[in-house]
Amino acid sequence: MAAVLGVSAHYHDAAAALVVDGRIVAAQQEERLSRVKNDPSLPRMAIDACLALGDIEAAALDRVVFYENPYRKLERVMVGSFAAFPRGAGFFRRALRSQLGDKLWVLDQLAAHLGVKRERVSFVDHHQSHAASALDCAPFDDAVALTIDGVGEQESTAIWAPADGGPRRVASIDYPHSLGLFYAAITAYLGFRVNEGEFKVMGLSAYGTSRFDDEVNQLLRVAADGSFRLRTSAFDEHLRPDRAYGDELVQLLGPARESQRPWDLDSGEDRRFADLAASAQRALEEAVLALGRAAHERTGARHLALAGGVALNCSANARLLAEGPFERVFVQPAAGDAGGALGAALLGARSEGDAIDGRFDPALGVAADPDRAMAVARHLGLNADRVDDPEREAAERLAGGAIVAWVRGRSEWGPRALGQRSLLTRGDDVTLRDVLNRRIKGREAFRPFAPVVRDEHASALFEGAPNDMTPAMTTVCRAMDDSLPGCTHVDGTARVQTVGPEGALDGLLRAMEGHGQRALLNTSLNAAGEPLVAHVTDALDFFVRRKPDVLYVEDVRITR
Amino acid sequence: MSRLTTLRELIGHFIGRRKFFFVPLLIVLLVAGGLLLLTGGLSYVAPFVYTLF
Repeated sequence: MAAVLGVSAHYHDAAAALVVDGRIVAAQQEERLSRVKNDPSLPRMAIDACLALGDIEAAALDRVVFYENPYRKLERVMVGSFAAFPRGAGFFRRALRSQLGDKLWVLDQLAAHLGVKRERVSFVDHHQSHAASALDCAPFDDAVALTIDGVGEQESTAIWAPADGGPRRVASIDYPHSLGLFYAAITAYLGFRVNEGEFKVMGLSAYGTSRFDDEVNQLLRVAADGSFRLRTSAFDEHLRPDRAYGDELVQLLGPARESQRPWDLDSGEDRRFADLAASAQRALEEAVLALGRAAHERTGARHLALAGGVALNCSANARLLAEGPFERVFVQPAAGDAGGALGAALLGARSEGDAIDGRFDPALGVAADPDRAMAVARHLGLNADRVDDPEREAAERLAGGAIVAWVRGRSEWGPRALGQRSLLTRGDDVTLRDVLNRRIKGREAFRPFAPVVRDEHASALFEGAPNDMTPAMTTVCRAMDDSLPGCTHVDGTARVQTVGPEGALDGLLRAMEGHGQRALLNTSLNAAGEPLVAHVTDALDFFVRRKPDVLYVEDVRITR
Repeated sequence: MSRLTTLRELIGHFIGRRKFFFVPLLIVLLVAGGLLLLTGGLSYVAPFVYTLF
């Protein structure tokens, strides 16, 4: 019976998670509270929020577990820097300054922030954290975990079998051979920011034709045993960590795209970049499929649990389920580094002798406070009233073409808005989609929106839905028809969310059915480049700045 | 005192991994860090630090 805090920090997506007596009590990403996108800093606010949600004092924590080994990380950075010497001398200085000046001391920083003894703070391996988060949150047994990201301490990819003390490594691939590095380099090459623009590459790929397969396959080669190798000379992460690709990649693929130029997919130049995105996405999917087959061959498991940043590629996940050897596939929703905090806490709980409670609901963050929302809204001169039936009233507004900001319960764990902090509108109207994209969200027009539908209607609207990934939007399904053009991508797929009877949007979707609508368009309550909203004050800030038609915080309705 | 635990774990890691060739570099870096700590960042330590970093 133990209280264990897990923490990820210092690279990107810092987060904290609290597990008490083997049950996941809270999990919170720092960026949602600090309002700094992908905030990597020590997650002091997220830690404090988790302790408050668990109603537990720091002194009562039995263990604090960091999600990776800082000493192995330092070793890898030093070895990598030496390997690139003398060209990588500048990187060596910057990396060592960052490592020795800050990151190496993370366990001390955690002890100091929490006021606990340093001996109570420990660490686990990066990919084992990912694997534990996937296996312990998966809704099935008889599973193997596959963890794929940029790099942990040394590994970029690993296959894990469940074991009593935590996941057991079956096989692994070391950095710099890394699917995360490959996709990050393509992301930067296409002019997007690494660790943020990968979703855009995936969305863009649907607009292209994969006519650069031969060139891309020279960068990423998949072997018969399911492993893969990068042409490392084309990747330059030590000299240019912000873009990861080198001159050799440019010689192979042509000039890179300027980052600030607006997209015009009717122009020949941007068509070329879309085609390159399509080939890169295809290569990634083939590599992930090969890894899935290798994981099955090595373990014989019937089910697959995924984590690591690459597991957020929902198109690849869909192919794994459709074409891979597994009956079921699950992705831990915060599959990136944030999710490592949850895995670290779960591993810590196991080492304290606790059995893990496998029930998992991604509504693990800070709670909505309608009283505070009403008080602040009135202070801002907004209309704020309590309504008897917010679902029925919101449904009427939505049916009339409104764009509704919706705040319910505890905020989401993972990058997707799942009805706790959402922007909603009708999915059958492309005009509403364009208004949402350009006026409210302010993001690129080629980026798709996602539909949300109740479980019982999912199979009528989308092939293969519901499945283990659709509740957290970590896969795509092909739409049965063209009835939802506002939230179906150009290739006919949608990143559909399915909602069970306990889901945050179940009541609203039922009310929409009275207006002849079985699905809604659901997107995150934030503008381009901002973190998803967590606190109601940030929801109000968004409402004032971006002007959706109405904001509901539980039963409080806010209008201008 | 807490940082001594980290230093102990760090040295233990490199010895355990038999990466002895990093020891001289680590010693130089840690001595520079220790000098900075002891002198409160006095200016005559700075040239060494700038050279290193």
